[in-house]
Amino acid sequence: MPRRVRRSGLMMPINNPRFVNNSWRRNCDSLDFDLEDSVPQSQKEYARSLVKQVIPIGLMGGADVSVRINTATPEADIAASAWPGMGRIAHPKTESAQRIREVDALITKYERLRGIRVGAIEVTAMIESALGVSNGYDIASASPRVKAFGGGGGYDMSLDMGVDMFVGFNQFVYSAGECELVARALGKEFSISVHMTDTSGSVSDAEATYLRAVANRKAGGRSGGGLHPNVVEPSNRGLTPPPEEVDQARRVLSAYEEVQRRGDAEGELNGQVIDAYEAARAAELIDWSRLCAEKDAFKEQKRREAEGLQPQPTAR
Amino acid sequence: MNPFVRRSHLQISVLNQEEVLSSWKHKADAIVLDITDGAGLAARQQARELVRGSIAPASKGGGEVLVRISKEALFADVKAALWPGVKGIICPSLETAADVRELDEALLEAEKEHGIPRGSTEVLVLLDSGKGIWNVREIIAASSRLSTVGLEESSLYRHMEIMPDASFDPLVYAKGRIIVEAVAAKVHPIGVAHPYGIMPGFDNPQEIHRLALRGKNMGFKGAICLHPSWVEPCNRAYAPAADQIDYFKTVRATFAEAVARGTAATPYPGTTQMIDVPVDERARIMLELWEMVQSREADKASALSKAAE
Repeated sequence: MPRRVRRSGLMMPINNPRFVNNSWRRNCDSLDFDLEDSVPQSQKEYARSLVKQVIPIGLMGGADVSVRINTATPEADIAASAWPGMGRIAHPKTESAQRIREVDALITKYERLRGIRVGAIEVTAMIESALGVSNGYDIASASPRVKAFGGGGGYDMSLDMGVDMFVGFNQFVYSAGECELVARALGKEFSISVHMTDTSGSVSDAEATYLRAVANRKAGGRSGGGLHPNVVEPSNRGLTPPPEEVDQARRVLSAYEEVQRRGDAEGELNGQVIDAYEAARAAELIDWSRLCAEKDAFKEQKRREAEGLQPQPTAR
Repeated sequence: MNPFVRRSHLQISVLNQEEVLSSWKHKADAIVLDITDGAGLAARQQARELVRGSIAPASKGGGEVLVRISKEALFADVKAALWPGVKGIICPSLETAADVRELDEALLEAEKEHGIPRGSTEVLVLLDSGKGIWNVREIIAASSRLSTVGLEESSLYRHMEIMPDASFDPLVYAKGRIIVEAVAAKVHPIGVAHPYGIMPGFDNPQEIHRLALRGKNMGFKGAICLHPSWVEPCNRAYAPAADQIDYFKTVRATFAEAVARGTAATPYPGTTQMIDVPVDERARIMLELWEMVQSREADKASALSKAAE
């Protein structure tokens, strides 16, 4: 399975034409169109009617396109969302494996009807409550469409736990840690967000986003998301290995090859131990760097194509 | 469990009748009559006999009365100490669902004998072993009586052979696990932040409040108070802060206006903090909790003024 590159994401209400029509210019790896919490009840049906026409707009800049559905209306939301080009359907506040199996079956139904290879659309089982964390292993195992797993933090989680956000320590050590362990135990990609004590809750702070992205990358995280265009570039940059780290990784790999040629298990490079562990880390970094470069080139090409040929903006 | 407010559980030895007689004055949400404090069988027997007469004085201030027993003497303790007016039983050291069912059976017998409505006595468990913490989910699910789960840190340290050290908390995982499983099952996790779970201090209300507030922001809903000095700071910490109430009201009003305009994501006035459904929902729940706390306080105030007459 090829690894996906989703260093940055922008979540936006799908019923906001200004956000949607400009979304493909934002250089996001993933565009996440919301049918859920940012869309008021009175506009849910209108929001659903937009998904099909929004997908090609999102794809114009080379991003993956996803949609966040409502827990109350999975059937209508999935019927409105499972169209060619849709990359991923996110189910919020997931609390049971049964729910993910139902979502999987609904998507399969529309994939068959609409000429999409069955299994092509991924599912994100968002974990945002204590019960979701408690059932995390079963939820993540419920469908092969769940390729990545994580969660156990954020506003919904704080709501469920009855804790304040931004209190100067990490209230989600256990819940987020459990989700990460589940992802790793099941061999899935995982999303993490390293705790930073200086968070103000600002959704547009580029510098804080960059520092967090770097911290996430060093902790093994590879994915990011956000709510404001300001955070896209720092997310992309922070989760991409800088050239000096790639060069160092290459030196480690060639030093390890030399160690192996000598028939040894470990050696040394400028005071650093070079062994199978360090070599594997270096190989992963080089691989990730290559995938990031491929994604960047793909987005660049798509944007150039799109700038020559822009589709009609969505009506309001 | 229906939502309830129980922020402070003031624990006193029932053998110390002087403390029992003044226990109602500290405005605790609950008074824990501990029958396990004395040494030896004679002391235990004396403690059991003192429970019945201690219920009325302990509850004079409107606090609920709980009795703390031990697992080794579970059946004897329950049968001797459960009387009308006892809201619940606190039992440490349970490790499995079968342990909870055993306690459930003892309670059924004692309820029948003493004319207490069947199934009305709550169970509060304090886990003190790796096994108990690992099994927390089945322990919570084993009885609908179960209302509260916490850690008995000193025994847990002994079980795990950990030396207490104020500078770091070795129980981050254990606390996180019981909090998440309790919240998932809609029961109360109780506790305070490190180091007061293992090295409690009693003479610094600010520090008590700080660690209780930190406990609240870990997910705990209240704490066992080993000294009356803990009650006031705990009552304050495990409730929405008075200065947050205006903020929650502004969140609700701002969000309602935004929804009327056709958007469900809007910044809090003068900031870049986003208000959306969960933020609004939290404000709604916090305001409801605030109302419940106010009503609990009013009940206690009326009991206190009656007691003072």
